[in-house]
Amino acid sequence: MSTIDPTEVFRQEASELFEVLEGALLDLGQRPDDRELVDSAFRALHTIKGSGAMFGFDKVASFTHEFETAFDRVRKGEIKPTQELISVALAAKDYIRALIEEPQSTDDIIGDGILDDLRRFVSSDQPAIAVAEIVEAPPLAPVESKQAGWHLYLEFESHILRNGSNPLDLLEDLCKLGPCFVVPVTDGIPFLDEMEPEDCYLKWDVKLHAACDKNAIDDVFMFVSDEMKLTLSPLEHVEAPAPMPLFQLLDEEPAPAVEMPAPVVEVVAAPVAEQPAAKAEPVSKPEPKLESKPEPKPEPKADAKAEAKRDDRGIATVRVQAERLDELMDRVGELVIAQARLTQLAASGSDLSIKIIAEEIERLASSLRDTTMGARMVPIGSLFGRFRRLIHDLSRDLSKPVEFVTSGEDTELDKTMIECLADPLVHLIRNAIDHGIEDTATRTANGKTEQGRIELAAVHSGAQVLVTVKDNGGGLNTARIRAKAEEQGLIAAGAVLSDHEIHQFLFHPGFSTAQTISALSGRGVGMDVVKRTIENMRGSIDLSTRPGQGTTVTLRLPLTLAIIEGLLIRVGEGRYIIPLSAVEECIELTAEDERSRGRNFLNVRGNLVPFLRLREIMTASGAPDQHQKTIIISTGETHVGLVADQIIGNHQTVIKSLSKLHSDVTIFSGATILGDGTAALILDVAQLVMLAQSKVEKQHISEAA
Amino acid sequence: MTEGHAAQHQADAMQVVMIGLGEEKFALDAGLVREIIDPVPVTKVAGARAFVPSVINVRGNVIPLADLRIRFGMPQLDDSADTRIVVIELELDGEPVLVGVTADKVYEVTEISQTDVQQTPRVGMHWKPEFIRFIAKWREEFVIVPNMERILN
Repeated sequence: MSTIDPTEVFRQEASELFEVLEGALLDLGQRPDDRELVDSAFRALHTIKGSGAMFGFDKVASFTHEFETAFDRVRKGEIKPTQELISVALAAKDYIRALIEEPQSTDDIIGDGILDDLRRFVSSDQPAIAVAEIVEAPPLAPVESKQAGWHLYLEFESHILRNGSNPLDLLEDLCKLGPCFVVPVTDGIPFLDEMEPEDCYLKWDVKLHAACDKNAIDDVFMFVSDEMKLTLSPLEHVEAPAPMPLFQLLDEEPAPAVEMPAPVVEVVAAPVAEQPAAKAEPVSKPEPKLESKPEPKPEPKADAKAEAKRDDRGIATVRVQAERLDELMDRVGELVIAQARLTQLAASGSDLSIKIIAEEIERLASSLRDTTMGARMVPIGSLFGRFRRLIHDLSRDLSKPVEFVTSGEDTELDKTMIECLADPLVHLIRNAIDHGIEDTATRTANGKTEQGRIELAAVHSGAQVLVTVKDNGGGLNTARIRAKAEEQGLIAAGAVLSDHEIHQFLFHPGFSTAQTISALSGRGVGMDVVKRTIENMRGSIDLSTRPGQGTTVTLRLPLTLAIIEGLLIRVGEGRYIIPLSAVEECIELTAEDERSRGRNFLNVRGNLVPFLRLREIMTASGAPDQHQKTIIISTGETHVGLVADQIIGNHQTVIKSLSKLHSDVTIFSGATILGDGTAALILDVAQLVMLAQSKVEKQHISEAA
Repeated sequence: MTEGHAAQHQADAMQVVMIGLGEEKFALDAGLVREIIDPVPVTKVAGARAFVPSVINVRGNVIPLADLRIRFGMPQLDDSADTRIVVIELELDGEPVLVGVTADKVYEVTEISQTDVQQTPRVGMHWKPEFIRFIAKWREEFVIVPNMERILN
């Protein structure tokens, strides 16, 4: 394994922090009173500053420090985060990002300009607004000014020393904040023969006699906060600073754990200091004989909180390289194939024990598959977040106020899909703002709200995910699209086409109805690329529009790119897979349907369903089976029957793409490997439906002639 | 095997896998060859071009099986005990692609000397000249070194 470049780690971490920061800032634009947002933005800034300094990004650290200072007033509730302030803050964020990612291309002048802007906003005092916030939030500052210091209880995880952290250094840092009174808690030390030499068994009880900010204490433990439990409570009584030297290990030290003040505050869990409910802690009363005291544990409330935090840590994330996940998925895919062979082998034999093992392995393989796929699933919200900035900027540049609403951020999709989706969605959203949403004057004239609205939603629908981009703009101008299509010679003038068909021209390469080409859109590249990208993901794209009401673009996407449930069928000698998500029902082709060579329609409960004979499409040799089966598949609204010789059953299908040499074959979307080791092809349902429709149309034409 | 490419640029020798197709002998650049396997069940791909009529499973990968005999207008023989599939790796449009090639017989891995290279004659050939890189002499026989990229594109 190659060594990890720490700078790269910082860059990665920073880019995640930027997302948090940007999200928080944008949210703050909508909910300026949300303290939680201010805090999360501030935390992100703070971490960027800290790690930036640590990894030698001094410029980043100093700029962020200035930014932080300015922003501190927002945090203290002294000024309100206005839209202008947020715009500047976003610019500052971009500047920091530039400083980290491409330091050469940045200029101090830009940074200074941003800082000046920032300071200008921040210094314009608006104390009146702050009052409300102070009432809402516990009065942080007053408490701090009154208190004489902090009471800390430090409990490090036993492996902390192995990571190279030294608790003593941290204690020393803590001492720099003010006079400290440190008592080690030794009750956790096991007998000598049970002792691990590399483990840390000591805990510390610290009284810090300094009126410092809680953040200053957090700073000390910033890099080990995941590996320790820090309980923190304000000291109320003004005591004389302890005269003892540091790190005193005397027995007659106070055993403060016994008198831990009631409101114990978890540092990480509750960033806002709680008000001290119980004020009369006799902290100063010395308690002799620490050793004689049984288990000086923090009180139960702290325990419960610590428990909750430990749970949080349980679901904490591990960074894994994406390639490793892909590799894992490949291996699991091969395992599934091998397992299918084993199952087949076991089924053909009579050895009961083999059958039991085969079943066991089948179960394990399928749960392993689910877990692996789950590990690759990413909530789509991470993608949606990126567009908020896009919309923010676009709506400012085009001076079209736009409200951006997202829903279904929790919807999970395979990470490769999320990556592939980013570009198409950028196109769609740009289109929606640039072409969809009318300018303010037009909107008012049409009796609409001045503010446009763009909704981005994701929702599960069976084995598919639907992602919709919906605007409440003017809708598609069908007449103009038609005129353009005629002009470009795509259709003959006066041809009879449905609106739906006309809208399909939007996906034609080089097709644009925009009269002017803007920096944003109108060049006619885009929608065709969007369509191709979506189809490459085995998805589909639908447009629906209502004049004057807006346009909705729906992307239908499979959940994953790697494994699907399939229906295995036989046509002649060949076996094929139909994605189960597309299968509606299976019916037998009646003798009557069989006879009617002239028409290729089925009567399914009164609905006319066209059908395709797969034997003809696959050019199967030999005589067809006596009882032909029909599999009704659907894409969207269209139903099509596929006639096969036999339905074999369910098949866990690991999708292997077809090679370039077969890129001209459209009716197959990929291939898989069956239990006996042969390859089987996966039918591309959308293509088959199109094929069926074109056949139906041909029939119509021949009937009309 | 990886030296195959380098070797072909050196003036003297070129490592090749000698295969038989119909009556002819073809020399495949050994640098391209990944493995040689016994015939496996093939899956016909409806609508594919005639010279890549099917796909096969090679170690969990579904790869196309090309039939050079179709490209060279030779009669297709039934599989015999000598039939093998030679798996080669090609660059097509900048991407590596694995392709299986049916061979009626695989003779041996050998070296052909660059000095034995003959210019492809303009006349007397019933094959498309672009399919042939050059013709070399090997043990008093003429063997064809095919241009696989051209043949499969």
